[in-house]
Amino acid sequence: MLSIALMGFAGFAALCLAMEKHFSDLLGRKPGRGQLRSLRLAGWLLLLVSLVLSVHQRGWAHGLVEWVAVLMAGVTLWVFGLPYQPRLLLGLAALSLVLGPLLAVFAG
Amino acid sequence: MKEGFRQAMAWLHTWTGLIFGWLLFAIFLSGTLSYFKEEISHWAQPELRSHALDPLASLGLAQGYLEANAGHSASWMIRLPSEREAALSVGWRDPEGGRRGFVRKSLDAQSGQPVEARDSRGGDFFYRFHFELQMPYPWGRWLSTFCAFIMLLGLVTGIITHKKIFKEFFTFRPGKGQRSWLDGHNAIGVLVLPFHLMISYSSLVLFMYMVMPAGILASYGGNTNGYFNDLFGRDEVPKVANVATPLVPLERLYAKVQEQVPGARIGFIQVQNPGDLNARVTFTQSAADHVAYKRSASWTFDGATGALLNQGAPESAAMMTSFSFAGLHMGNYAGPWLRWLYFVFGVAGTAVIGTGLVMWLGKRQLKHAKSERIPGELRLVEVLNIASMSGLLLAVAAFFWANRLLPVGLEGRANWEINSFFLLWALSLLHAALRPGRRAWGEQLGLGALAFALLPLLNALTTGQGLDHSVAVGDWAMAGFDLTALGTGAFLAWAAAKMLRPPKPVAKRAPRASKASVEAVEVK
Repeated sequence: MLSIALMGFAGFAALCLAMEKHFSDLLGRKPGRGQLRSLRLAGWLLLLVSLVLSVHQRGWAHGLVEWVAVLMAGVTLWVFGLPYQPRLLLGLAALSLVLGPLLAVFAG
Repeated sequence: MKEGFRQAMAWLHTWTGLIFGWLLFAIFLSGTLSYFKEEISHWAQPELRSHALDPLASLGLAQGYLEANAGHSASWMIRLPSEREAALSVGWRDPEGGRRGFVRKSLDAQSGQPVEARDSRGGDFFYRFHFELQMPYPWGRWLSTFCAFIMLLGLVTGIITHKKIFKEFFTFRPGKGQRSWLDGHNAIGVLVLPFHLMISYSSLVLFMYMVMPAGILASYGGNTNGYFNDLFGRDEVPKVANVATPLVPLERLYAKVQEQVPGARIGFIQVQNPGDLNARVTFTQSAADHVAYKRSASWTFDGATGALLNQGAPESAAMMTSFSFAGLHMGNYAGPWLRWLYFVFGVAGTAVIGTGLVMWLGKRQLKHAKSERIPGELRLVEVLNIASMSGLLLAVAAFFWANRLLPVGLEGRANWEINSFFLLWALSLLHAALRPGRRAWGEQLGLGALAFALLPLLNALTTGQGLDHSVAVGDWAMAGFDLTALGTGAFLAWAAAKMLRPPKPVAKRAPRASKASVEAVEVK
């Protein structure tokens, strides 16, 4: 479940960065052409993959519920942490992006 | 969307939120605590020790105890110890003894001996308060169900009122006064929306029979018991044959259930007509095993022969839907980490209500910032805000302090714990009425911080099961309670410090988000 939580967290981070305002606030530069669109696509893709993995690992009943739960927790952490620790959260998102899929592959 | 409609919804959101906010805050907080009902009860009755789980041995102990002490009774009930409940609970119907003709005993899961634990309602108090509000049946259930309806209404009107639900999905701007409160209110509301919607909608499903009884009354007439018998698939129990027959060992029946569903955890076991030819034994699978409540997960045996008579009736699709909502609401299926998330989301729901109440007042106080006194109606809201939020937290702390300080032999001890809760709540109302707003907040939050932060120490001094002990033996329910109390204390101390400091003037225009701060607060 940790891998799913991490992927969901990275997914929401990508969706957040896909908004021009947040992109320039967080990364300190204007988004390039197509960057926002690829971020949005990546974000939705990560959410979708985490959902598929969750249902695959835990079945429909538990999978759906736990997916929603870890996603809500992740995005709440992101939104309320952002004004205080933006760099830390960006780092966490990057780490989740790497660690999430790795865990999913190696830990099942 | 027409602006008139949105404004009407904002009006509805504002005023239903104010009128029911105080009660909803209490319902949400007690409901949140109820996710740790078993753990709170464990803390409240430290005499009950937890042991490694051994269902077969527990069953044997329970049967032995009941045969020796309740042979005359027509009906027994056994609850096996679980990951969350240390005690082996047994109960039996006895017209002459116990509360409402039912005797309950908590046995030590290892020795099978009854444990004389202190008289306390523990987590059950918060659980019952959550939907009965300490009112006589059925008024509390009616009122809390109505509040659930208002909560659902508040969510829907809130979504309609919120103009930038997607544009500001990731937005929280602290340190900007009213703007930050609104951001926080919106963000917790929107980000945890699936939980909020599930909780309020499912409460209506849970009390469907009270909210919309017409269908039941039309089909069953006055015999509502018939409806529940059909719903839960209960069978009629045969009459006593008056032929003494020894009850089969329950361990054997347990093994048969395990053949049917390997690894099934058993919630409770009911024995009808024990020691008679017509004995019936029903095993019900623990609610922890499924997300949805399942009536089919029960097995009834002939108590004399040990033959499996029937399994619980299967659920229809409509039933599965409502049982799923019931299961999701109560979260019995949730393991430790998911249970913590439930708790966190419950706190989030409580915070949505609390921030809403604070904002209602804050907006209106701004208009009177220059005058000496605020109008009476605003002062009333302020007093009620303080008592219903920080006062309630003090009341919760009072319940736990009473649990440790009241003498064990006190007559009606459990009731005195509850009295302490309400007494402190009433005192907090008085205090809020006598002190100026910010001071009252600060003092109550400060006292709350002390009361919660010192609970682990009080626990260690009075029971010897403080953090040093509970962590060492791995009693995580006990340690978790103490650590949560410490955390609550720290949070309240932070909030109290903010309130006791003089308010700092809010910057009119923040350098970075200058566009945002110009926007007016939408909810009127």
